[in-house]
Amino acid sequence: MGAFCLVLVLAQARLASDFEIAQMEKQLARSRDFEAQLSGRLNLGDVRAARNEPSLARAEYVRASELAERERLEARRDSALTRYATATSYAALAQAKLGDEARAFTLLEEAARYASDDAESWNLYASAMRVLGHPRKAVSAARNAVAVAKEPLDAAVYQHALATALVDTGDAAEAERLLATLTAALRSDAFAPLREQAAREEAFEVYSSARGDVAAYVSLLNRAQLRLASLYEKRGAVDLARAEYRRVLEGRSDDVTALSALARLASSDDERARLYAEAFEANPFSPALIREYRKNPVAPATDMQRALAALVRGDRREARALLDAMLVQFPANETLLRLRREAEAGAFTLPSPSPTAPELRALIDAFERLTPGQRAALDAATFTSEVANGTIAGVPVRGVGDGTVTYRILGVVEGGVLLLEEAR
Amino acid sequence: MTMECGSLSRRFGTPRQSRGAWQLSLPRWKAAAMAAALHMALPCFAQVLTDTPKGIVTAHDHRIELAGRWNVEGVQHATAIAASDERVVVLDALNNEAVIVTLASGAAQRIQTKETPTAASFVGKELYLLARDAGILHRVGGEDTSVAADLLKGEYLYSRATGTLQKIGGKPMQLPPFASDLEVDGDTVYLTYPREALVRSVRNGEIATVRVGAVPVDLAIAGNRLAVADPSSKRVWVTEARQSVAEALARGFLRGFLGLSGGRRDAALPTGVDRVETRGRVWIAYDSSSGTLYHVTPRQSTLLARNVPPHAFALTENGVAWWNGTSVAQKSLR
Repeated sequence: MGAFCLVLVLAQARLASDFEIAQMEKQLARSRDFEAQLSGRLNLGDVRAARNEPSLARAEYVRASELAERERLEARRDSALTRYATATSYAALAQAKLGDEARAFTLLEEAARYASDDAESWNLYASAMRVLGHPRKAVSAARNAVAVAKEPLDAAVYQHALATALVDTGDAAEAERLLATLTAALRSDAFAPLREQAAREEAFEVYSSARGDVAAYVSLLNRAQLRLASLYEKRGAVDLARAEYRRVLEGRSDDVTALSALARLASSDDERARLYAEAFEANPFSPALIREYRKNPVAPATDMQRALAALVRGDRREARALLDAMLVQFPANETLLRLRREAEAGAFTLPSPSPTAPELRALIDAFERLTPGQRAALDAATFTSEVANGTIAGVPVRGVGDGTVTYRILGVVEGGVLLLEEAR
Repeated sequence: MTMECGSLSRRFGTPRQSRGAWQLSLPRWKAAAMAAALHMALPCFAQVLTDTPKGIVTAHDHRIELAGRWNVEGVQHATAIAASDERVVVLDALNNEAVIVTLASGAAQRIQTKETPTAASFVGKELYLLARDAGILHRVGGEDTSVAADLLKGEYLYSRATGTLQKIGGKPMQLPPFASDLEVDGDTVYLTYPREALVRSVRNGEIATVRVGAVPVDLAIAGNRLAVADPSSKRVWVTEARQSVAEALARGFLRGFLGLSGGRRDAALPTGVDRVETRGRVWIAYDSSSGTLYHVTPRQSTLLARNVPPHAFALTENGVAWWNGTSVAQKSLR
């Protein structure tokens, strides 16, 4: 029953991310034109990166780079220089995602030479500079994009890019002002037609490189609200932050960032536990969510939460069992593999004469791998502990009654329970 | 978000006819060879090179080198280089650094700049560095000045976003924005406007305009001859004035650009050229998309090298030098 539930839980939990990947792969299969292919590859790379699958992400970025380089040459052969400038900008972005600073910069400057009046080229310049960790350069490029943008949705996209870059430079005040104006505008009547179209099409996917106005609008509103909420939260405006995170959930009820932020800001443990559970069901492999949850592992409701809670309390044996079961379903997932490495047994040392709970858990964890010498030392040792309700400091034991007991440790039985024998 | 760029491709799509293109006898490439050239390995990008009175100076692999004279620690990403008779400066626009080296001794000075030093210019004894994204013009050893500019040539600064042209320390002058290249010849400034298919010149505050090709991206000027790289037409447009180019352009006499390509244009410059440089009577052209360097004459265009990084070639006293990936290659063009 346990294994069956695990599969069901994870299958549901994976729906959001897997659905997005499936949609992107469908887009790639359907489309032949350069921009659809390229944005598909970049999006897939970003989703893989978000899922902590760097080798798969890199493969997508390499394919994006190859597509863009081919397009550059074909555009030049065809004397289509707008196409050339666009392809050059995308080639730069792909190189930035691959970490090649020098090539990315050269390509960006090349695109700027041809198309300094093109807002999208400047926007891509800003994106690439952010990826490479040059936020001040990104701010400069984003200001150019905002200055030359013509359409309201385009201008909104570039304002968001500018705000993002400003946050990176530490200029939170200007970023907050910009985002407050931007999110209000996006929710205003001016964008009602796009909002209604998104509702009709049930569009909720969030892309880093959105294609089409509806996808761009949905992604932009999501990102802008999240960023604004985060700025509110950082400066202690908790009510404003909560309100903005809730607005994100109105657009997409399984947004893992908003759910985990609301869990962090929850006023009660019950509310926090519910929100964490929803967040883990949305994406159990989000590194940010995992980091957040480990700080306060309340009431685990999913197997990932249970594995993390086990790691936090030092119960690596249980963590390994849970992680191994998940790895059967998702063998290439880097988050699981990293946690599994963490759950490996540490170096064994014999518990002290009055063992603490961590010492006993470390022994349980390492028991199967004790050397003959270590086992002989353990057999010869006696320990004294207070046993209460079949546990020593919360570690379940069998073979002895409650009270102060001097005992030998015989082994570990199913469920990570220590088997003891009273010493006479 | 991806967006289309309106009608620009229509505007760019139809190159204008030249009045009398000089027919060039170019090496004929087989189709397969051309395809291979188009899919060649991408050149490395952190190398720059320039000619100086002491010889060729290269910046590569974190070093700055004058062959046989000195070799000093350079920058991580060499993005630009400029030289005077006495000094050379190498910029790292990504890490906001500049290294200035005295040509005679190899003595080096490393300085931290404001954000994104994209261009350097020696004006007399002064060295100016443009930190584009900070909006600062550094005078090395002197004060910083606030400027809004992204191109610096000689004493002139130009902002692509606003169209402001300004002589260092002078009053700004308004020109159309979005020029791709800025060149200075004496007291005349030239700018190329790809979208408008125009070259503009400015002298004594007067603006003159001439229509050139379909997408003029880069220009070079030497004496009474002006050359414009037009990758859309796959030609280098060249014109010769009776007196100076500046005077001819100002009086509206500068016409009759001749398109240098080479017979069947796709075979000659398959992906076009978008940079052109001149020194004396020697002209070279470069294709950024494929990293290909050409020698251009009225009679023929010759392929000089492939896989050359964008700032890793320079005209020398006798010909041309370029970085071939491991060392400096040179060819006499006299």
